[in-house]
Amino acid sequence: MSVGNRKGVPVSPILEVQGLKKYFPIKKGLLSRTVGHVKAVDGVSFSVAPGEVLGVVGESGCGKTTMGRCILRLIEPTEGSVKFEGREIVGLPRREMRALRRRMQIIFQDPYSSLNPRITVGSALMEALTIHRLARGQAARDRVAELLTLVGLSPNHASRYPHEFSGGQRQRIGVARALAVDPKLIVADEPVSALDVSIQAQIVNLLRDLQRRLRLTYIFVAHDLAVVEHISDRVAVMYLGQIVELATSEDLYRQPRHPYTVSLLSAIPVPDPDRHRQRIVLKGDVPSPAHPPSGCRFHPRCYMAQEICSREEPLLREVGTGHWSACHFAEDAVTGAPVSRPT
Amino acid sequence: MSSQPPLLRVEGLQTHFHTDDGIVRAVDGVSFDVRQGETLAVVGESGSGKSVTALSLLRLIPAPGRIVGGSIQFKGRDLLALSPAEMRSIRGKEISMIFQEPMTSLNPVLTCGEQIMEPLIVHERLTRRAAHTRAIEMLELVGIPAPQQRVDEYPHQMSGGMRQRVMIAMALACRPSILIADEPTTALDVTIQAQILELLNRLQEELGMAVILITHDLGVVAETADWVAVMYAGQVVESCDVRSAFNRPLHPYTAGLQASLPKLGRKQDALRVIPGNVPNPAHFPAGCRFHPRCPVAIPICTTDPALLTIEDRHLSRCFRAEEIARGELNPVPAEPAR
Repeated sequence: MSVGNRKGVPVSPILEVQGLKKYFPIKKGLLSRTVGHVKAVDGVSFSVAPGEVLGVVGESGCGKTTMGRCILRLIEPTEGSVKFEGREIVGLPRREMRALRRRMQIIFQDPYSSLNPRITVGSALMEALTIHRLARGQAARDRVAELLTLVGLSPNHASRYPHEFSGGQRQRIGVARALAVDPKLIVADEPVSALDVSIQAQIVNLLRDLQRRLRLTYIFVAHDLAVVEHISDRVAVMYLGQIVELATSEDLYRQPRHPYTVSLLSAIPVPDPDRHRQRIVLKGDVPSPAHPPSGCRFHPRCYMAQEICSREEPLLREVGTGHWSACHFAEDAVTGAPVSRPT
Repeated sequence: MSSQPPLLRVEGLQTHFHTDDGIVRAVDGVSFDVRQGETLAVVGESGSGKSVTALSLLRLIPAPGRIVGGSIQFKGRDLLALSPAEMRSIRGKEISMIFQEPMTSLNPVLTCGEQIMEPLIVHERLTRRAAHTRAIEMLELVGIPAPQQRVDEYPHQMSGGMRQRVMIAMALACRPSILIADEPTTALDVTIQAQILELLNRLQEELGMAVILITHDLGVVAETADWVAVMYAGQVVESCDVRSAFNRPLHPYTAGLQASLPKLGRKQDALRVIPGNVPNPAHFPAGCRFHPRCPVAIPICTTDPALLTIEDRHLSRCFRAEEIARGELNPVPAEPAR
């Protein structure tokens, strides 16, 4: 899969993921025998251009968080390859990996639990600088002040403890912590879902602003499609451990080519009482990733499933320029898409 | 719009928590009406007092909280004047409630059936056998497949969406006239949320009950509510029909909240923003509680505004609501500079 930058000019990707898999064993009984596997991530491939924002959406259990962590090797992948700036990082020795982590950072969903309550915000930021030997003493203190200003806080906040901040401010600290080591790639794992509505916009604007000013690359993992569309250049839709659709955010929302994306879009309540849409209500729940359905994993819930869908697994294929879909009937999904149509 | 008196009328409700650190005025001036067969959405962010309002309606406020003011008129009776025994005959029978996280509000050691049967045995004095049959009917009503088997299963054997259906079956077993739904779909995925919202809409039509929907999601409000009460810092700041709330908000908070949402399929460069933080219930600002974050605040806003009728059935707690209504003032936050 080739990637282009914002203007579509081919560039070498900053991140290349090939056939990434993560299986968690299910252990049972006295001898904890492995009786099966939860296939959290099951064969995911994509690449990201420098300075690009790739959104990843999907419902709980689709593997989006596990995938984000596998990329940073916070969770060890079972199989597959992850190349960062052309260098394979799966199987890299711990020390080298640690050095590389400077270039790739993560922002967590819950700023409450990802900050140590016993140390001041200043010390927390300083720690990152010391571990990676980036600055010491006065230089480190200056850098902390600079980071706090960068995320819209004030330098004198450094002497305060996490509990003295509101949720939105804590997420700003989470962002400052990630930026402390001057990374190139940031995996943002549901960075605004724990925040109040009026605060979400502040953090989304901050992330977007920083991305442009510091030329960062984001993998933005979230379940809120409106937020993902807003911030992303391209969006990957995941279902049961696989990418089912990948396209620019404009294409994905205007012309979804996978029935799951179509139903996901139609299920989102729109804050406009005058817009009454035809909604596709999917039947049933997301199946367990321990026992994914045969063939296309979405077929038991799909409104356009045919006989072939339960037999043959559809591959992610390019159905339009830069638009990838894993559906046997991706071409029909366009015409049959009853999305966002007022009735 | 009907002219009959509302089913439920809440006026000037105040619920305070007397803690060691002082009085927390979690609910401090909440008024709204609920009419038969209609849905009222109570919208607010964390700490706005929307959940405490819901619990106050059922008088389920835990110590050190106390309802210290206001009235709750239900079918001509003031719920705040009832004895505990009288109140028990209302809870779960006349007014019932479902919560955000069904797993924590279902009893893990009782089967789903037992939990649906309980209110039927207590309130309607049904025999166990009759209640069991009704429980199966209820499960069928809420769209649970194979209800005969599911009735004897435990909550942990079910998925999140399924559990929320069981909660709904339990709440509706005695055919209440009001269902209070406190963030009923917040813990659920969007495709499951769509199923549950559709179910609630269908049941409301079939059973003719009123619904008080507590939520922070403006999308859910737009798609399910008839009336909206917007809460901020313990008070209702705006109350009107759902169309006016979205098309013609008369309070800067309501306007700002909508403006700050990213809209699907409409790419914007930067989102408009309400500056500042959601206030802590222990230290609400003096005067209009929104004034420190308000783009159109003026000196008078440091005194208390009242919730006043500005237009027909459209109330706003803002000194400048008249100006907004006349179109002389734009309450929406400015587009961020690039």
